[in-house]
Amino acid sequence: MKTKSIIAILTSLAATAVLAVDVPPVGSSAPDFSLTDAKGGTHSLSQYKGKYVVLEWFNPECPFVKKHYGSDNMQKLQQEYTGKGVVWLTIDSNAPGTEGNITLDQAQKIMASWKTKQTALLLDPESKVAKLYGAKNTPNMVVINREGKLIYEGAIDSKASPNPADIPSSTNYVKAALDESLAGKPVSNPTTKPYGCSVKYKSS
Amino acid sequence: MRLAFPLLLGSAVCLSIVGLAPQGKSQTYEGKQLVHAALVADTKAIVPGKSFTVGLLLRMAPGWHTYWKFSGDAGLPSEIKWNLPDGWKVGDIQWPIPLKTTDPGDIQTYGYQDEVLLMQEIIPPAKIDSSSVKLSAEANWLVCEKICIPGSASLQLELPTSTTSAPANTEMFARFRRLLPQDWPGAEVVKANWTRAGSDLRLSLTSATLANYPAADFFPLPPVNVVVGHPKIESRQGDEIAFRIPIESANKDLSSLRGLVVFAQHANGNDRAAWQIASPAVASAGFSTPARGVFTFLFFGFLGGIILNLMPCVLPVISLKIFGFIQHAGQSRQKILRSGLAFAAGIFAWFVGLALLLIVLKAAGREVTWGGFQFTNPYFVLFLSVVVLVFALNLFGVFEISLPQPATRGLLSWTASEGEAGSFFQGVFATVLATPCTAPFLGTALGFAFTQSPAIILSMFVAIAAGMSAPYLLLCAQPAWLRFLPKPGPWMVHVKQFMGFLLLATLLFLLYVLGAQRGLDGIIWASCFLLIVSVICWMKGAFFAPVASTRTRVIAALMMAVLLAASGVYFIGEKFAFAKISNAGSQLTGDWQAFTPERLQTELIQGHTVFVDFTAAWCLTCKFNEASVLESAAVREAFQRHGIIKLKADWTNGDPVITKLLQQFGRPGVPLYVLYRGKSEEPIVFPELLTKSIILDKLETMSRTVASH
Repeated sequence: MKTKSIIAILTSLAATAVLAVDVPPVGSSAPDFSLTDAKGGTHSLSQYKGKYVVLEWFNPECPFVKKHYGSDNMQKLQQEYTGKGVVWLTIDSNAPGTEGNITLDQAQKIMASWKTKQTALLLDPESKVAKLYGAKNTPNMVVINREGKLIYEGAIDSKASPNPADIPSSTNYVKAALDESLAGKPVSNPTTKPYGCSVKYKSS
Repeated sequence: MRLAFPLLLGSAVCLSIVGLAPQGKSQTYEGKQLVHAALVADTKAIVPGKSFTVGLLLRMAPGWHTYWKFSGDAGLPSEIKWNLPDGWKVGDIQWPIPLKTTDPGDIQTYGYQDEVLLMQEIIPPAKIDSSSVKLSAEANWLVCEKICIPGSASLQLELPTSTTSAPANTEMFARFRRLLPQDWPGAEVVKANWTRAGSDLRLSLTSATLANYPAADFFPLPPVNVVVGHPKIESRQGDEIAFRIPIESANKDLSSLRGLVVFAQHANGNDRAAWQIASPAVASAGFSTPARGVFTFLFFGFLGGIILNLMPCVLPVISLKIFGFIQHAGQSRQKILRSGLAFAAGIFAWFVGLALLLIVLKAAGREVTWGGFQFTNPYFVLFLSVVVLVFALNLFGVFEISLPQPATRGLLSWTASEGEAGSFFQGVFATVLATPCTAPFLGTALGFAFTQSPAIILSMFVAIAAGMSAPYLLLCAQPAWLRFLPKPGPWMVHVKQFMGFLLLATLLFLLYVLGAQRGLDGIIWASCFLLIVSVICWMKGAFFAPVASTRTRVIAALMMAVLLAASGVYFIGEKFAFAKISNAGSQLTGDWQAFTPERLQTELIQGHTVFVDFTAAWCLTCKFNEASVLESAAVREAFQRHGIIKLKADWTNGDPVITKLLQQFGRPGVPLYVLYRGKSEEPIVFPELLTKSIILDKLETMSRTVASH
């Protein structure tokens, strides 16, 4: 029995090591980062320790992102959870020269005209944070708990489509993860396949 | 110059074909055409009842691409929703082998560039009234270059109806059919082995064929709840290649994946070919239990146990027990409690015994499954018939059951009076009768238990026992509720006798089962034996009573023993044992055909949709479903309209081939209803309690929209 559990621990450690290269798995500590926001301020993940943090990968040109902003779905989520003390960080990781890359100025304009309600819109033109989290899609959603552990990674909801008409009939995984976790329950769907456009990394 | 004219003519013809064939629609973005979509058919005319293929042809602008059914790290698969007239059927999308693209940031996607034809088989009804038919479909796609744009189009294809047809668009269909993945070849071409390496899956292949292709890859087709990472070649040497596929979601029991093994001279080469690793034979090798918690299943076991009380095969015994409670109602609270506990103990004893037996048999490697493993055995059914008859005669007052044997007393040392021993055996009896009724919840719970460790099997059976005895224990703990039951009186004798008839009805059912197993002869010889058993019971009542003299009792006992032995040897040993059913297919009525795995394969290869009814003569739920749903006019008509082949898998005698299939579906017994839609599609499993609407809805949605997922 003892050897069995040791083997189990070793395999899971090995698995974690293998996966860390790609995507930090749910349950591990969220890697820290520091980015500039649309207004010129700096935000680091560590400064929000003790709070729930949502990371949302963003691209204003992407039809899947537009699906959730055009329908007011994303703004409502942002408003609801920031109202409950959750920190909501929207990240644009698209490299300069690619579709979806935005300047400080553009970021402010988008926030104003789209009436977004996140804590901050962060700019990650070198795609550093996207690499850190293995983010490949917009939108790609990550939820981090008060202890700084990843509790959700994946899609925003259950219906992979660019059609806003699908929103009312889909299950919002981010909402579910936050509600469950805030109620002290384990997250029932901790990993899902994100859907959407790709994050536009710099060609190397 | 001499060559120029034919060349010119040739290109003009080509142009006109290109220009004429796709009368589709274009998706434009900022003044630029991104995608042109059209429907094309491989025939010039529709022949009623004869299947043909249509394709959604998507032509993408240079640099833009649409996606495969698994799009990879980004993108969305294209979708086709058909709107066909009633009676028309459409098959699944046949996806050509996609190209794998890697974008900056290690973003891998699977899709198509330039042009793709997504083919689907269409089966028209046997009779078409109009001279031409307009087929319409709604197509949705996502086209991406640096940015992604969703597109959609309502498309139409009009074809004349005729008695003959000629092929059309042959070059295009041939080109894309060459790109379709092939079925998984036999073990002589490739051997596959799935293993789990931590959170990764490893697919090891041994194949001399693959060794000829420098480029080999695995394109995964994960189920919706599974998130996969990028498959990588872990090792490749000679005939052997191993792929490693990271599983990023917590699917601990996932033991294999569907997908394509793709091979070519160069990656993404036009010569690419693929084998589809999806055949149930490979996938089912590691059949995994649904990832629900043990406690959920224990709860279902408990619930199933309660429901067992309501099953028609237990009801007579239940009445018997309630009757016992009425008798006890006037007695002391302690006595009621003890009687209830004894009854519960009987239930527990049976289930624990069954669990232990099962664990032993499972360990011995035998293929055992629930319910059926007794009811598929005619001697067990015969034994039960004797027990039921004896109980019935007892209720009629032909004889009284005498004091428990000393052995039984020893077994129940904590109990002293016959009342408790009686209760104990009533508990055992009730559960024996309950086994063939695989109640809906119990099915799931037991299906789970059978793949589990002995400890879980045991706890599962205990959960069922707890569920079944819960109502009685409740009545014992709250004896006050017994007051709601009527007071004892002379009417009880009538009730008792009436319940004898209920038991006789149960006997009829058991004889019906015997008939299905051993034919008319079997019923007759079994009945002869039962008649002698009745005589023995009568002798017991008439001559073996406590008031009779010792001499009478000795003679009576001797005669009873002789009668029992002689009739047993003759009627059962000589006659019943050799009674055979004259015609194995006697169960098949109407348009049902006998199931064999080969038969199923043949039908699926021919592109038919097949419904399989796993049933048994002794399964009341099956009989109920068949009579009220499957044989109802609406369902029969719907099956006919959709051209579904109906196969009946008869498990009455415990056919091991069928036993194996049941286990593959995680079911311990019958009923099981499965709809196979084609070779590559996952079969649809229907619930154990069928309703007409479940079947009709499924058939409707299946034929109307066959969209990609």
